[in-house]
Amino acid sequence: MANMPISEMRLPPHLAHLLAARRLDTAKDVLSLPEVELMAVLDAGLPTTRAAVAHVSEAACPPCQTALALLEECVRLGGGGRLATTLRGLDEALGGGIPMGKLTEVVGPSGIGKTQFCLKLALLAALPEYYGGLDGRVVYIDTESKFSSRRMIEIGQKSFPQIFRQEGLAQKMAGRILVMRPTSLADFTKSLEQMKVTLLQHDVKLLIVDSMAALMSLENEKATAGFRQHPLRWALSFIKSIAEFSRIPVVVTNQVRSQSNDDGYHFSFEVDRKDGNNCAERFDSHLIAALGIQWAHAVTVRLVFESHSGHRFMKVAKSPMSPAVAFPFVVESSGITLLSDEGIDVTGPEITSIRCQGQNVLAR
Amino acid sequence: MSFVYGAQNAWDMLSDEQSQKHITTGSGDLNHILGGGIHCKEVTEIGGVPGVGKTQLGIQLAINVQIPVEYGGLGGKAVYIDTEGSFMVERVYQIAEGCISDILEHFPHSHDKSSSGQKQLQPEHFLADIYYFRICSYTEQIAAINYLEKFLGEHKDVRIVIIDSVTFHFRQDFDDLALRTRVLSGLSLKLMKIAKAYNLAVVLLNQVTTKFTEGSFQLALALGDSWSHSCTNRLILYWNGNDRYAHLDKSPSLPVASAPYAVTGKGVRDAVSPNHKRVRVA
Amino acid sequence: MMSQDQPSTEDRCGRFWNGMELLKDVTEKKHLLPTGLEGIDTLLGGGLRRGHLTEVTGPSSSGKTQVCLHSASLVAAKHLGVVMYLDTSNSFSPSRVATIIDGTPDLFGHKAKGCEIEDVMRSIICESVFDIFALFEVLNQLEISLSNDKVNNGGSKICLLIIDSISSLLAPIIGGKYPQGRSMMISVAMILKKLADEHNLSVLVTNHMVSAGNGAVKPALGESWKAVPHVRLVISRECRSNICTATVLKHTLLASGSTVKFTVPS
Repeated sequence: MANMPISEMRLPPHLAHLLAARRLDTAKDVLSLPEVELMAVLDAGLPTTRAAVAHVSEAACPPCQTALALLEECVRLGGGGRLATTLRGLDEALGGGIPMGKLTEVVGPSGIGKTQFCLKLALLAALPEYYGGLDGRVVYIDTESKFSSRRMIEIGQKSFPQIFRQEGLAQKMAGRILVMRPTSLADFTKSLEQMKVTLLQHDVKLLIVDSMAALMSLENEKATAGFRQHPLRWALSFIKSIAEFSRIPVVVTNQVRSQSNDDGYHFSFEVDRKDGNNCAERFDSHLIAALGIQWAHAVTVRLVFESHSGHRFMKVAKSPMSPAVAFPFVVESSGITLLSDEGIDVTGPEITSIRCQGQNVLAR
Repeated sequence: MSFVYGAQNAWDMLSDEQSQKHITTGSGDLNHILGGGIHCKEVTEIGGVPGVGKTQLGIQLAINVQIPVEYGGLGGKAVYIDTEGSFMVERVYQIAEGCISDILEHFPHSHDKSSSGQKQLQPEHFLADIYYFRICSYTEQIAAINYLEKFLGEHKDVRIVIIDSVTFHFRQDFDDLALRTRVLSGLSLKLMKIAKAYNLAVVLLNQVTTKFTEGSFQLALALGDSWSHSCTNRLILYWNGNDRYAHLDKSPSLPVASAPYAVTGKGVRDAVSPNHKRVRVA
Repeated sequence: MMSQDQPSTEDRCGRFWNGMELLKDVTEKKHLLPTGLEGIDTLLGGGLRRGHLTEVTGPSSSGKTQVCLHSASLVAAKHLGVVMYLDTSNSFSPSRVATIIDGTPDLFGHKAKGCEIEDVMRSIICESVFDIFALFEVLNQLEISLSNDKVNNGGSKICLLIIDSISSLLAPIIGGKYPQGRSMMISVAMILKKLADEHNLSVLVTNHMVSAGNGAVKPALGESWKAVPHVRLVISRECRSNICTATVLKHTLLASGSTVKFTVPS
């Protein structure tokens, strides 16, 4: 809508001519000027300028829907649209699985099982609907060259032995995964740009980016500090819009880094309690997500994978649907398995913390 | 007798203000520090770290504004401008159900009331009165805010406009920061005008960012200092130990204060004792 | 042309004053309006000077609006005249004003009673202004009604004009490559100073503070505005308290740089 040409908006002729004469061709050109500057550009009075802005705004504003219409659409498309993870506890907590049309993030230290989780999701999206899958293709953006078809098939064979006994199914499933290995951010954005078409053409039912952070850290070394956030912002809005318009689940992984002393975690009005009780809550090795707070704002669901008390846990750290719960899990030859489907309620700063204690530190 | 056409004297404004109802947040403690709830004719900014419950509170307000007049509400409608795609309609349905069950609990005799009242108390009815705009760029956001003036003229029963979040697109892709400041200050004045002219509450959800002040990094709301002046009230949501807290940071009429709140399966409610086991969402 | 024959002082083209006249003018006519905030009154040598443009600047939620609300309430409560309050951020709070008036003794040291509060509050007139064009319109109307002198709210004249905040009206128009915005700002400044001078008003405006980089802050309206106010006051509030600090940045009559602490009563 933002790039809609003014000429297609059916404005009153005198306004259309005025804008065309000043080379204001799109809604963006007109609306990103403050009123007084627009008056200067148009060399017009206040009533004319306001009329032009009102007309352009009405044309460029996206249509309004009621929440009820959204709900009905959701129901028509099949129960809100989820990709079930087959991890029963997690699916229940997320209201059925990974939501379609939204951005879901998996964050955790390296080696904890993020890629294992992604492989399992890729497999599930590729499986025929008859077996609970989405019967679609998967775009797997593999920035760290970690994708392994063999491992994915192994997960499949161990989790669904009865299905994978079928001749050629494993090959068929693996063939449905389109793996891209971009070498630079420019490469990545280019493939993303071409993707909307691809998605429609190939019945893609899942997009995985493993890992987003690796791609960004690649770029950070080149870019100057001030410019650093910019490509990330762009990629972020783009990925979100892909999720939304293709109505598919998008899963991205994020790495962790250790927290430096400079990281602000308090508002100025909280100052007096900064030195007090909060120190006690700091965990022995405190990690934070590599992509910063802006990224965290943008994801709809955040799953934190962490290890402490001798176990690995996956934690629903942010979700509009459910309170924060954690599930202990293990990585087996059949992929990720929950040790218990009964979630442990998590409260307070624990929700957002990411812990990584060696597996040897067993429960006392 | 007036010096300027359309101006009002403070006495008349006081009686107007006293007859105003406020939009409940769902939490009594939160309402208390806000002087009864979210006020109409004012712009309230709500900020906080990711996952603390900004969108939850936004959805809650979109539902609560619709509580019928006979149950102590405003009986208004809501406009929800979603810039981030975080509006989950199933969750809205749950919160509407939670709101209705609370109403029925407080008014146990409402079952005897006329069938029209019963019809109103359906989650579907609540959802039908939320006008939803999905915004995908800052241009669309500016367009939507401009268009609101006309839209609200045609939908006079709207009592709240929620923008979730006001920040997203302006942080993504606006390069000229000086121009961004000018455009944003223009927008904030338009929102002020809408709030006043249509007697409704404008609620802006804002993200946080880190800012270097007084020798250390601290959390601050996004979009810079210039934007920080452009709201009537500011509420900051944060974690205090294990609890969610809200801090009223700015208000022309109320003292600076903090209060705990909780996000439950039914929506935003009072925080109860720390040992309370949270309701699981089925 | 005509005005040359008329010795009257209403001539807009300016008249000549000699030093004695000016002194008389200052001592007799241009007295002070108290803000009711003790620290600020002391700092300003008694309060807001009539005929002057006073600016209060400070970071967000530092208490700028509270200074405005207090000044408006006190001037009204002491029956000094009518207050015109132009509000750009829906921050004029009548209940807050009522509370302040309730706690203010009048000229004779009596506390205001119910019916008096009504009268007092009727002498504070508030108008919302949301863009620069509306501001021009309002100031124009104000000037006309002041010049006609017909409209006098129950016999008393406007003595205080408050704009909270001027910078939110000017922020969308200054900067950029077109000169129109800047010239509008200059016109606003001229109109305000003219109103202050000709009608013996005290004008109080608030200005935001924005980041100047490296963690410091500066008033939002920059160099070209700096010369406009007679008095510039910067205030800040300590975290989680109602203790504020005020500093004189500029004062045409007093030394600048002096600082005082004051509390905003809750």
